[in-house]
Amino acid sequence: MTVLDVLKNPSLAAEIKKQQKHVILLWLAGGASQLETWDPKPGRPTGGPFLPISTNVPGIQISELLPKMAGRMQDTAIIRSLSTGIGDHGGGASLMETGRRKEPGLQHPDLGAIIARELGRADSQVPDYVSFYASTEGRRKGTSGYLGARFAPMFLSDSMIPLNIRRLESLSEIDHRERADLRALLARRFTRGRHSRNNVLGSHTSAYQRVRGIMASEELFSIDSEPAAVRAKYGPTQFAEQCLVARRMVEAGVPFVKVARAWWDSHGQNFETHQELCADLDHSMSVLLDDLEQRGLLENTLVITLAEFGRTPKINGSLGRDHFANAWSTSLTGCGIKGGTVYGKTDADGQNVAEGKIGAGELFATIFKALGIDYEKEYFVGSRPIPISDFGVHPIDAVLT
Amino acid sequence: MAADPKQLKLVKNVGSQGIAFGLDRVPETDRIVYGSSDFQVYEYDFGAEKSESKGFEGEGHRSYVTTVAVAGQLVVSGSYDRRLVWWDIETRKQVRVTESAHAKRIRRVAASPDGRLVASVSDDMDVKVWEVESGELKATLKEHKPMTPHNYPSMLYAVSFSKDGKWLATADKVGHIVVWDVSTGKTLKTLEAPIMYTWDPRQRRHSIGGIRSIAFSHDGKLLAVGGIGKIGNIDHLGGPSRIELFEWQTGKTLHQIEDSKHKGLVEQIAFGPDGSWFIAAGGDHNGFLSIYETGSGKLIKQDKAPMHVHQFVVNEVHDTVYAVGHHRLATWELKAKDAKPAEKTPEKPAGKKADEKPAKAT
Repeated sequence: MTVLDVLKNPSLAAEIKKQQKHVILLWLAGGASQLETWDPKPGRPTGGPFLPISTNVPGIQISELLPKMAGRMQDTAIIRSLSTGIGDHGGGASLMETGRRKEPGLQHPDLGAIIARELGRADSQVPDYVSFYASTEGRRKGTSGYLGARFAPMFLSDSMIPLNIRRLESLSEIDHRERADLRALLARRFTRGRHSRNNVLGSHTSAYQRVRGIMASEELFSIDSEPAAVRAKYGPTQFAEQCLVARRMVEAGVPFVKVARAWWDSHGQNFETHQELCADLDHSMSVLLDDLEQRGLLENTLVITLAEFGRTPKINGSLGRDHFANAWSTSLTGCGIKGGTVYGKTDADGQNVAEGKIGAGELFATIFKALGIDYEKEYFVGSRPIPISDFGVHPIDAVLT
Repeated sequence: MAADPKQLKLVKNVGSQGIAFGLDRVPETDRIVYGSSDFQVYEYDFGAEKSESKGFEGEGHRSYVTTVAVAGQLVVSGSYDRRLVWWDIETRKQVRVTESAHAKRIRRVAASPDGRLVASVSDDMDVKVWEVESGELKATLKEHKPMTPHNYPSMLYAVSFSKDGKWLATADKVGHIVVWDVSTGKTLKTLEAPIMYTWDPRQRRHSIGGIRSIAFSHDGKLLAVGGIGKIGNIDHLGGPSRIELFEWQTGKTLHQIEDSKHKGLVEQIAFGPDGSWFIAAGGDHNGFLSIYETGSGKLIKQDKAPMHVHQFVVNEVHDTVYAVGHHRLATWELKAKDAKPAEKTPEKPAGKKADEKPAKAT
């Protein structure tokens, strides 16, 4: 049974839904402005021109540039007190991808790789970690670090469909299957009479099955088979279409999907830039949340908006905002999250965190706990124990169920 | 004094209240009215020995005041809050508020030369024509598309009346230009300046440009639009400032002028008295004011501005430029040396022209 067959079987699909948890990371590459999204400062010199709007959760206001999200805050927690300290793209992205600062001699895995390691299943026939990044600016492929290539992302840039999973044209489907059958026959003969605890060949067999599964999963990446009404809801932008693919992935059991929307680096014309990009984010994220909820997937899927940093409260001479890692925001929706909450507070002009300052480590611990992953778990690199959250951090229980 | 573009020089440069976005001038004076990022409207008198920005009084606006226009005895201001607010020019008090004048953010208002009408443009992509005396909406003109070709919300930035008040020109983010007949509300001509859109389909997948300024020559034959040229890195206003000059009735492009020395957006354009030269100003992090020869498109004179210039106006004899921008107000003079004083002719007399009909509502 292929993964597509699983999707067609309602009882099995329901079982998968019960068991599996997933993450969809909406990566706002280049650094979205917290003031034009989750932490408006109306009437302040730093506040910009956009008005705050009330949400469907009394007492919570967000920017008017997110009107659709304003009607869907019941499942979302906003954290307004990220203070991460690294204000360059590469360093900030590395920090927010891995949840900790770089360390000489050790490459830490990013969030996707850790989630793939923790929530992926050894017998899964779908990818564990899929990453979309279509724009070229700020493109980063992600890293599984010391976890190894098994948890590296399937990285998609130029096409929404993986280019290298198709069978070679020189090889027929029958030939391909017969080769696999021959390999299985030889493997069975090889293992016959050998020590039962020798699992090396079992691992090889599992890897081959996985490849077959992934080859069969090409249809997952295509939105052509989605009903026209569903495609119309998502709309025609590339980001929206990638969000639709992300939903298909999650539905099929992929633990981690990253969809990057570049490029929010609004040093000039910040307000014009955010009018374009927030419209894309607001619509795509809203439709995605609705779709997940209607399919019963949202309670087990954590949707995150995150970037390498936020943007300066000060408005520069080009009506832009520059890099700012001192006080900025993120959002968490769905699995394990206490919706309709706001954690942390910035001062009147958004220059500093006034309450609840946290770093990348605390955010990662919160994400792990929301997904039911022991945030204090340790991996071993050789004999060295390394906690999956940064040393000494704790989750923010206030945003967790 | 007659104007001589070669004599351009900065004469005054003072701080503004907040970021100053839009301005107009009280006729026959050195008094300007400007809208600010602190949601207020101010008056500043460049002619006074000691001056300060004096706020207008009233309920006012709830967001950036992007634009103001003097129309007879009234000032009308437009804002991101979608409101038009009407003020008495002498008392500086609010006269009326047009709530929800547009469905989206108001970018610019322009008064007709006779002061009877005001046109407003907004990101709802509507052009609205208002009667100043009553505040009544006379026409809603629709031609600009609400979405860009890449399915993002478009923006309608620029509007200007012709000197005789017969025509209205508007221009939007994707470089679409429309000339309207004010009396009928009908489209007379459309033109395109697509380079100013600046859509980046590959690296950054958004745009920051658009046509930001538009102006008729005094004889109404030419139409100039300003914005920014192709940008390599649209994180910044790092592209050449760009002007396109059309003989709009034939659709012929006369000049496409780019300046990479002073980069950024051309936020305002105004023709000189005989149309032989025109002024353009704007900027990136910094600002510029440039004067070009209309016939050749060649630069006559240029000056670095003390701020990104968001808008400017000129006086009746075109020898003084009043500009507002990023936290600053400034004036330049371009007075001819040893020239005889020129006869002043008011640009915006108050009162109605009996033979002019208001545009029809659509």
